[in-house]
Amino acid sequence: MGLIQRSIEDHGIATISISLSKEITGKIRPPRAVFFGSFLGHPISYPGQVAHQLCVLRFLLKYLEEIPTPGTIIDIDAAVVDNCAAAAAGS
Amino acid sequence: MALLGPDLRSPRVSDRKCKLSLRQKKDKFVAKLLNKYPPLFNRWVESSTFMEFRDSPWTQLDKDLSRCRLALITTGGAHLRRQPPFDMTDPAGDPTFREIPSDASPSDMVITHNYYDHSDADKDINIVLPIERVFDLKQAGDIGYVNHRHFSFMGHILHHHLDTLIEDTAPKVATALKSDNVDIAILTPA
Repeated sequence: MGLIQRSIEDHGIATISISLSKEITGKIRPPRAVFFGSFLGHPISYPGQVAHQLCVLRFLLKYLEEIPTPGTIIDIDAAVVDNCAAAAAGS
Repeated sequence: MALLGPDLRSPRVSDRKCKLSLRQKKDKFVAKLLNKYPPLFNRWVESSTFMEFRDSPWTQLDKDLSRCRLALITTGGAHLRRQPPFDMTDPAGDPTFREIPSDASPSDMVITHNYYDHSDADKDINIVLPIERVFDLKQAGDIGYVNHRHFSFMGHILHHHLDTLIEDTAPKVATALKSDNVDIAILTPA
């Protein structure tokens, strides 16, 4: 996936991806990536967990804006996404 | 006079289908194991070879997200039911892509990918291709627009197919997104 991301970024589109393995992402060096500790097959949470899914996407948008250095991988603990989803459910 | 034995290089079609079927069953079994036992996935990563780069391409985002046009790209093997499935018979994978209209219904979509356990994604496509969630983001004002199309690959691409991906299919998708005036793209693996 990182190879596709590199090509899209090369064409002038700002990109961000979810990393399932910091080791692989560190080698391919896409411009921006976030590691949530997701399991294979579950990059954006679990079926029907809409609040979680939106939180993951909003973290991606946040770091799409904030990452200043090419090749950065942001590490986000799963608990942070859980708290985000809980807060969204409570609001 | 040479003895003529069975030609092992050219198995009969029925034999080849049988072997492919067994291999595909093995691929699916391994995928389930990797899903169920993450340390196995880590060991697979450690024992595998990947391309390595020393630098990263970079496009500065110079627009508010609330004015940006977003597209999704997944390598989760998602496609419309009416589209040809990704090729599961080639052990080196399939570097082609499928164009997914952004207004496609999740019920119109299926996943062809033997290299991860997509049983949960079959229940809710949004966990690999958040096709509905991006409209939630637009409605909430997080982004300006959802592009009229997204793109999907099958992320098991090896050997000579990597050249096709790098030189042909990935640039084609990038060019298509650029022609759509897409500002930002989110890429999701599986």
